[in-house]
Amino acid sequence: MSEQEIAERIAKFPGADVEVLRKGQIAVKVPAEKGHDAAAYLKKMGFAHLVAVEYVDWIKENEFELVYNLFSYKMKMRAFLKVRIPRDKPEYITFMDLWPIAMTHEREAHEMMGIVFRKNPNLTPFILEDWKNLPPMRKDFDSRKYVKDKYDSIPFAEGGEQ
Amino acid sequence: MKEVDLFFGPQHPGITGNFSVRVKIDGDTVVKAQAIPGFLHRGFEKLMEMRHWMQGPPLICRICVPDADHSETGYSMAVERLAGIEVPERGKYIRALTLEMSRLSAYLFYFAGYGGSIGLYTIAQWAIGDRDYLLDLYEELTGARVYHIFNFPGGPRWDTPEGFEDRVDKVMDYLEKRLKEYDKLYFNNMVFLKRSQDVAVMKKSYAEKMEVTGPNARATGWAIDVRKDDPYAAYPDLDFELITQDEGDSYARVMQRRLEFQQSIDLVRQITKKLRSMPRGNVRLIPNALHWKIPRGEAYAAVESSKGELGYYVVSDGGISPYRMQVRGPSISHGVQVYEEMIVGQRLADVAALMFSLDVCPPDIDR
Repeated sequence: MSEQEIAERIAKFPGADVEVLRKGQIAVKVPAEKGHDAAAYLKKMGFAHLVAVEYVDWIKENEFELVYNLFSYKMKMRAFLKVRIPRDKPEYITFMDLWPIAMTHEREAHEMMGIVFRKNPNLTPFILEDWKNLPPMRKDFDSRKYVKDKYDSIPFAEGGEQ
Repeated sequence: MKEVDLFFGPQHPGITGNFSVRVKIDGDTVVKAQAIPGFLHRGFEKLMEMRHWMQGPPLICRICVPDADHSETGYSMAVERLAGIEVPERGKYIRALTLEMSRLSAYLFYFAGYGGSIGLYTIAQWAIGDRDYLLDLYEELTGARVYHIFNFPGGPRWDTPEGFEDRVDKVMDYLEKRLKEYDKLYFNNMVFLKRSQDVAVMKKSYAEKMEVTGPNARATGWAIDVRKDDPYAAYPDLDFELITQDEGDSYARVMQRRLEFQQSIDLVRQITKKLRSMPRGNVRLIPNALHWKIPRGEAYAAVESSKGELGYYVVSDGGISPYRMQVRGPSISHGVQVYEEMIVGQRLADVAALMFSLDVCPPDIDR
């Protein structure tokens, strides 16, 4: 099946905005409240594998974007299911019921971007240790300032800068 | 019996890097495990947002130490897809050559590591020694041994030196000869068989459910491979069939790599044969590195690394650096959730061995 034909089939899902990006890659935008249904629809259609959950901070639009990167080994096609959630209330529902591996991906997104996934039981610290600052992958987290504040306070004799 | 909480790592023989597991043991049987990644977090994704597009490969080749070329190429391909550029034919073949050589050296590292974790230290010495012949080739081609910083958006940095293909073939002949000696000392060794057969069996249905990729998935009988499913570089023109096995135990996972090692040698020979017959010179397109702007949009590119699907999701806002770059490391599935579930019921001695048998690469979880 060609990208166009698959895109037409996906477009039958109410509210889906489908775009063929390039050979083998299709982007599907849906409103946040329909995200879970759309994911179930895509899974049923053949996009049975969750490769990754990507998260992007669109700070100018005051939104977070979650990209569910799906792959179909049968159709040899990737679909990026995109939902946007407000930046001031970063909450979403877990997709663990569809793909158990979503637990780890969501755990990472929670730590790095501060998005809370409802019903995910394992949103514990993942990669960072004792992190009390702003989630580091947010665009308003200033890495240079953080490094300066943290490491300038260390005396030279203990490995800090002079 | 009383259960004991044990912190295993972050330094232990089971891993190429630092990775810790908190295991709860009853006697010497594991009843619960919690993977603790993060010791190698260097914030590459955040750093990339402050770098030019062309400054990516020197940073991200460090994502997986034994298999650096796949990281460089994955990122480069994602940027090429966004910018809409096509690498010249010879460039694609040189890219595939570095990728297959990288796979060979990563598999040698794997043989060494798994051998070491079950006490076969001779194998560890042999494999690391043989890997050096591949590193010598890399040094001649790229100027570097471990991090090659060779595959850039647009193609490899330069053409192969005169007579390089012959020297590659010579090393392949050597490795093929050595593989027979490995068979005698390692793959038919009673210690190896006893420690790996029927240990930590992964079923095909489980691999599918948990999104396991790469040789681990193929060792369960699931015939998937990014080289076939989403072809890139010169792979569509190369002749190879996927190898699969059905057992899914530690033995099958090691033998899967042993069989793919032979396959990679054959692939390298196909590539060098083709490179000899091609006109030299045209290997890459060079954009202005400092002012190169990439059109708005997003792209994903995946490569079949020695550990599984390694993907790069790149977002551009039309500027001179990535707006967002996210890595999908293969170990994110088999290194955290899958490992935590599979180690339960195994013996303490297999905590390190299973980690190597699954080929967990902690830096691609931590990034």
